[in-house]
Amino acid sequence: MARVTREMVENSGIDVDQLVELLVKNASAELTTFYYYTILRLNLIGLEGEGIKEIAETARIEDRNHFEALVPRIYELNGTLPGHMNDFHDISACPPAALPTDPTDINAMLTVLVEAERCAVRGYTYICNMTAGKDHRTYDLAQSILNEEIEHESWFSEFLGEGPSGHFMRRGQTSPFVSKFLK
Amino acid sequence: MRIINTLELSGNNGRDSPVYVAHNGTVYDVSRSSLWKGGRHQAVHEAGVDLSEHMSGAPHGIDMLKRFPVVGILSGDKE
Ligand code: HEM
Repeated sequence: MARVTREMVENSGIDVDQLVELLVKNASAELTTFYYYTILRLNLIGLEGEGIKEIAETARIEDRNHFEALVPRIYELNGTLPGHMNDFHDISACPPAALPTDPTDINAMLTVLVEAERCAVRGYTYICNMTAGKDHRTYDLAQSILNEEIEHESWFSEFLGEGPSGHFMRRGQTSPFVSKFLK
Repeated sequence: MRIINTLELSGNNGRDSPVYVAHNGTVYDVSRSSLWKGGRHQAVHEAGVDLSEHMSGAPHGIDMLKRFPVVGILSGDKE
């Protein structure tokens, strides 16, 4: 625990226990999404499925990176992760990105993917609003994650033909925004 | 439509009971949501109460609630 760090956040008026609980729930959402995306990616086969496999893989790896980046902040603020994986899964901030009944239905696959990203965009926007101008480190982290989640949403949304956003796939390394928290 | 008073609403707070939340006079049953487990939502809200005034602070709209069954209309009376 970083005592003065927590004290500073408390003094800013933030309910730190509530913030920590939100961070834990979002860390769970990231790790469980990493798990569910593994199953989705495996099932992205065939002419259409192979076309989005790479992008689903990038989102999967970046979600795992988000989990890794969130955990130290939770502990700095005197939080902990549940001792049991079952408990951790069940407190996720987002619904499970479960495999659709028909995995060959590419629209159903993309819908699961885009909805998972939208849930994340909502969650981190809320954390940014809560910490802006108060808890600078959590804000920086949540905003960095938000930047990546927004790009993920755009990728899947564009495959669904919802409209352009001008984003390209990653060229080179994953997590261009969050990597500074992973060093 | 069934009339649900605030006492019945508060009894359905998700602690060994169904999970009800009220919004603008309508009571929804969100028991099947994994995000309302145990009657708590996102570390911020508790079930069994009228959350009308809190929706504006949520990072989503009423559409999220409308996916769930309506169980009644909220009356202001306790009895
Ligand atoms: C102010 C704090 C709140 C936060 C941070 C929050 C956050 C969230 C998030 C991240 C989701 C998942 C969205 C998605 O899947 O894309 C969600 C879903 C939902 N929220 Fe909220 N919300 C808040 C307030 C409320 C309020 C006041 C209500 C009710 C009046 C509510 C009712 C719901 C419902 C019913 C769902 C859908 C759950 C499901 O699909 O299983 N939320 N919320």
